[in-house]
Amino acid sequence: MEFAIKTLVFLPLIGFLIAGIFGSKIGDKASQIVTTGLLFISAALSWMVFLDVALDGNKYPVTLFNWVTSGTLSFDWSVSVDALTAVMLVVVNSVSALVHLYSTSYMEEDPHKPRFFAYLSLFTFMMLMLVTSDNLVQMFFGWEGVGVASYLLIGFWFKKPTANAAAIKAFVVNRVGDFGFALGIYATFLLFGSVEFDVIFANVGQYKDATMSFLGHDYHALTVVCLLLFVGAMGKSAQLGLHTWLPDAMEGPTPVSALIHAATMVTAGVFLVARFSPVFVEAPDAMAVVTVVGALTAFFAATVGLVQNDIKRVIAYSTCSQLGYMFVALGVGAFGGGVFHLFTHAFFKALLFLGAGSVIHAMHHEQDMRNMGGLLKKIPFTATVMFIGNLAITGVPLLSGYYSKDLIIEAAFAAHSGVGEFAFFMTVVAALMTSFYSWRLWFMTFLGESRADAHTYDHAHEGPMFQMRFPLAALAVGALAAGWTFKEAFIGHDVAGFWNGAIDLSVKVMSHGESLPIMEAAHHVPGAVKLAPMIAMIVGLLLAAWFYARKTDLPQRTAKTFNLLYDFLLNKWYFDELYDFLFVKPSFALGRIFWKRGDEQTIDGFGPNGVSAAVAMVAAKVRKLQTGYVYHYAFAMIVGLAAIVTWFMASGISSGAGH
Amino acid sequence: MLSLSLTELAFYLFAFVTVAAGALVISAKNPVHSVLWLILAFFSSAGLFVLMGAEFLAMLLVIVYVGAVAVLFLFVVMMLDINFVELRQGFLQYLPIGALIGAILAIELVVLGSAWHFGPDVASNIAAQAPAATEVENTKALGQIIYTDYIFIFQTAGLILLVAMIGAIVLTHRTRPGVKRQNIAEQVARRPEDAFELVDVEVGKGVPMPTKKG
Amino acid sequence: MNGELNLFVALPEIIMAVWAMALLMLGVFQGDKSYNQISNLTIVGFIVCAIVMLVNVGGERQVAFGGMFISDAFAVFMKTLVYAGGAVVLLISTTYLKDHKIARFEFPILVMLASLGMLLMISANSLMSLYVGLELQSLSLYVLAAMNRDRTRSTEAGLKYFLLGALSSGMLLYGISLIYGFTGTVDFDVLAQVLKTEGASNIGAVIGIVFMLAGLAFKVSAVPFHMWTPDVYEGSPTPVTAFFAAAPKVAALALFIRVMVGAFPGLMHEWQQIVIFISIASMLVGAFIALVQTNIKRLLAYSSIGHIGYALVGLAAGTQAGVESVLIYIAIYLTMTLGTFASVLTMRRSEGMVENISDLAGLSRNNLPMAVALAIFMFSLAGIPLLAGFWGKWYVFLAAVEAGLWPVALIGLLASVVSAFYYLRVVKIMFFDEPAASFDGNHGRSVSFVIGVSALINSPVSYILLVAPLITAAGWASKALLF
Repeated sequence: MEFAIKTLVFLPLIGFLIAGIFGSKIGDKASQIVTTGLLFISAALSWMVFLDVALDGNKYPVTLFNWVTSGTLSFDWSVSVDALTAVMLVVVNSVSALVHLYSTSYMEEDPHKPRFFAYLSLFTFMMLMLVTSDNLVQMFFGWEGVGVASYLLIGFWFKKPTANAAAIKAFVVNRVGDFGFALGIYATFLLFGSVEFDVIFANVGQYKDATMSFLGHDYHALTVVCLLLFVGAMGKSAQLGLHTWLPDAMEGPTPVSALIHAATMVTAGVFLVARFSPVFVEAPDAMAVVTVVGALTAFFAATVGLVQNDIKRVIAYSTCSQLGYMFVALGVGAFGGGVFHLFTHAFFKALLFLGAGSVIHAMHHEQDMRNMGGLLKKIPFTATVMFIGNLAITGVPLLSGYYSKDLIIEAAFAAHSGVGEFAFFMTVVAALMTSFYSWRLWFMTFLGESRADAHTYDHAHEGPMFQMRFPLAALAVGALAAGWTFKEAFIGHDVAGFWNGAIDLSVKVMSHGESLPIMEAAHHVPGAVKLAPMIAMIVGLLLAAWFYARKTDLPQRTAKTFNLLYDFLLNKWYFDELYDFLFVKPSFALGRIFWKRGDEQTIDGFGPNGVSAAVAMVAAKVRKLQTGYVYHYAFAMIVGLAAIVTWFMASGISSGAGH
Repeated sequence: MLSLSLTELAFYLFAFVTVAAGALVISAKNPVHSVLWLILAFFSSAGLFVLMGAEFLAMLLVIVYVGAVAVLFLFVVMMLDINFVELRQGFLQYLPIGALIGAILAIELVVLGSAWHFGPDVASNIAAQAPAATEVENTKALGQIIYTDYIFIFQTAGLILLVAMIGAIVLTHRTRPGVKRQNIAEQVARRPEDAFELVDVEVGKGVPMPTKKG
Repeated sequence: MNGELNLFVALPEIIMAVWAMALLMLGVFQGDKSYNQISNLTIVGFIVCAIVMLVNVGGERQVAFGGMFISDAFAVFMKTLVYAGGAVVLLISTTYLKDHKIARFEFPILVMLASLGMLLMISANSLMSLYVGLELQSLSLYVLAAMNRDRTRSTEAGLKYFLLGALSSGMLLYGISLIYGFTGTVDFDVLAQVLKTEGASNIGAVIGIVFMLAGLAFKVSAVPFHMWTPDVYEGSPTPVTAFFAAAPKVAALALFIRVMVGAFPGLMHEWQQIVIFISIASMLVGAFIALVQTNIKRLLAYSSIGHIGYALVGLAAGTQAGVESVLIYIAIYLTMTLGTFASVLTMRRSEGMVENISDLAGLSRNNLPMAVALAIFMFSLAGIPLLAGFWGKWYVFLAAVEAGLWPVALIGLLASVVSAFYYLRVVKIMFFDEPAASFDGNHGRSVSFVIGVSALINSPVSYILLVAPLITAAGWASKALLF
């Protein structure tokens, strides 16, 4: 089994190296076959490992070799697998394999296919490094690695200026989060003296009440650690405040969006918090922050999703919103619920993205839903799978979203805390909106009259059976069945056996007079609470149907009536403008100063702008020092003298203090 | 417990006053005050000389510097009507950076001073050992080395003063036309017939203009 | 300290002092109309003193005045240059001074007293004699700078020079007092002994050297103590500027070497750093700022700053070869500078002297010999191979490279490439620009004579006429300094 684990982790790396180095030699076809084939092997192995871990409750702490030993700091390269990792392995490798396959067709016309597949495999490898780590530093390596891969893939069409800008934005915003994460690592090491998970988790109890002193104040150490790590998680998982990069990242190719920005990388933050659940449970304040941020994100992203017209952006905001759900679950202590939603969400969101990709493919790279409509007749297969995806995400009973999402809403209620109730309210409202925008998307795309030009519409067609429809079908199966199949293991009666200590299950709340683990308590909430998301879902569906299937002039009229609100939502709550004003403009101003003053005047002046011109310029500048004032001259002498004296005092005292 | 002998007390007093007065010379707003502070600085330095047993130098300092140089300064400052407010305008502008550089230099010199140590062979290096004050009064002691060991320096200093005199004359002395000067030799050589002339005045005609001589 | 006076060793200086005072009396009784007579007698005085020095004193190492005064081969070499500089300046001054109605009999006497100060500087063997020599020289120079007292520029130059010179003297004195305080002596020989054992552990002496170097750097106008130079050069009467550029530079450099090599060999590592710094800074400032000058005297001011930088490269090497190269350099520099300033003195039209570079336009068509001579000086200053200036740079950089200071040599080479630009620009203006009005040519025969001789010894035959004898002499002189 250990061999299988090592193999499944390194196969994508091999794929990356082959496609990346020899891509141009072996050709497009071979690159695609190699990377995709390796990923499928990897995915198969993942399922094997998952079943082994899930059914038999095994753990595989596989250490490859020691990485750093420096004083008390010591950690290894490892590919350790426990239940949480196994879940991530399955998600990452399955979706990645399907996306690889899908991309062979989707990227048909692209001239740089080997590079694309190399990046995809690189990303997968980095993601595996992240999830299989047994210490924070290797995790950080994977964390940055996926960041780089994401940057490369968002900016894959580097000739598109918007893609470049989006790639940079994603990178920069993530740097903010990464900075928090890095600080979190330092704080952890400071507190625990180790960055290895086993050591940290074993000693949490010991540092329960420890404090950290900063600027004269003492702070609860675990809260500090958790909040810093959570800042990192917020960046990667696009939570409110650091979310702005995710919608823009849709500039990348659609399969990339499906893989990175729906199923895997953006869930790294969730994974991080779940991984650190033993620490988080000792920091209730940090948990509350996680809950609130998650709830706000779920609500905020859903509102923005209501009015977007770009098919991918709708799904992007949907992703953002669903990540908020996951954080709510983590925040109230239902870690299993959060990871379960991560698991199911990966299937239906990848499905929706690939479906959207299929639509875009059919419409010749048209992404605006206002120019679609009536595609049901043209691409019925895509319409069907996206219908399934919608059913899943909106939480129709028995489909996968139903189990995970409803559990989150119920757990939020069951927490019986202020933040829990707030989260409950927000997530229910968000559920209504989720239903509305999901169905709005479907109605606008597949029903009604075509708003596209006739030529495009006439030529709309499904993608190739194997390469594009098979992944869709596979994901549809996941969306249909993943929830029902695994609900007992993730959140039901088998939790203890399934998780086997990989996440914390100790959070208990009062329910009907007895103290129950929160995930169990979530099953015992009042009926009205259980019904609430269902009702919200149905209301959302009906509203969408009314707006976009029956009275199609209504949306425009509503938008006109509530134009302020509409603009507010359409402009994403003006977050980009705010950041532009607060950070980007000042940074650019600063940069311009350095550029003009530092670069153009100093560096360019000496370099490319011609030595002779530079010489004359320097001379003219220095001549200005020659003012003719005696006191300037005297001052220059004194400064020169002081400089030399300082030089000797500095160097002389260190060397000449021997007597 | 800090115990100071009277000499030490006097030393620190004079030293403090010297430094403080020096600071006030450059910081006083009114240039006349600056000169007065300068005089105080000279006086307290003279006190320091006395403490070291160099009475002659102390008196020299008072007579030459206070009596001549500083008074000359006072005259010059009072005669030249310089607008010092205007001169000081650049002062504030450069004060921060100037103060910074000055402070850096001052700190370094203080550090340096604290590293001072009297080397073991320094005493033997001293070129012209001054005789003990009890043996010979210090005017005589000065004379003994100035005109022997330090004749070279002394003479060269004399040359410098000569140059200063030449310079002062070259730069300021002018032979102006129309300046009346006393010429004693001419006055002495004068005869009555050169000075006046007897003229017979005819009635109603007045005196004719005398013809001008030399 | 030995108590002997050994007045004989200082005979040339004593003669000069008495000579100057005698001429002063002569002048006072005869008035300004005796300018020619006094000037000629001063030149004779220089020659007499030089002969006395060469014949009676010789190159042996002898001390006088109880060790405060030293005469050795190094002093003889440098003093010869000072005598030559003073005499030549007097030769070329007459016409200019008469034109400007400042031909006063004090002028040659002040030049002589300044030269006397330089001689004392060169022969200084203690910090005190160093200081009095320096002050004698400086004070005379302040007066000379302000000689044209009715011209604001001249008085301003004198005042600036005086104020900043006083500041630099203050630094120098402070440094001297630090050194005296930390070592207990002002005698060069004793200092060398003391610091050889203590070395850099005597941080007070190190800082004292820093202050002294600041004061000395002012005198040689090395960066960052150079800022007075352009203003003073421009403002002073041109013959005085010629004097400034020639003899005091020689003397200050000699003092520089004497102090560093004679008194502080034990702290060589320390002063080397400073000398390297100011030498690089001087070369760069001299090269770059000269580019934008339009006044030929300012141009030559920056040129002299740069040349001092090059000369200091040799000193920075800290070896006997290095000092030898400095001696060669400064001697060659003297001939170039005097020749160039003599040429500047020919730039006169009916309305008076002109000083702009543009006034030289088309000189080759009006006065070809003059243009050729000036071109030779420019090429030589630029260090074009086979001219005298090239050999100076060659030996200096060679010594630096041998001492492992190749980065300094490299920067020096770069600076000389940059500076070649403005020297060659002068040549280009003279030969290729549209002719400006021609000069009147009434500059006097002695000026033409000086130009001719300097041009000849700077020309490509310089190696035989100047450089080869110089190498012998400099080698002989530099050996006198104890290494």
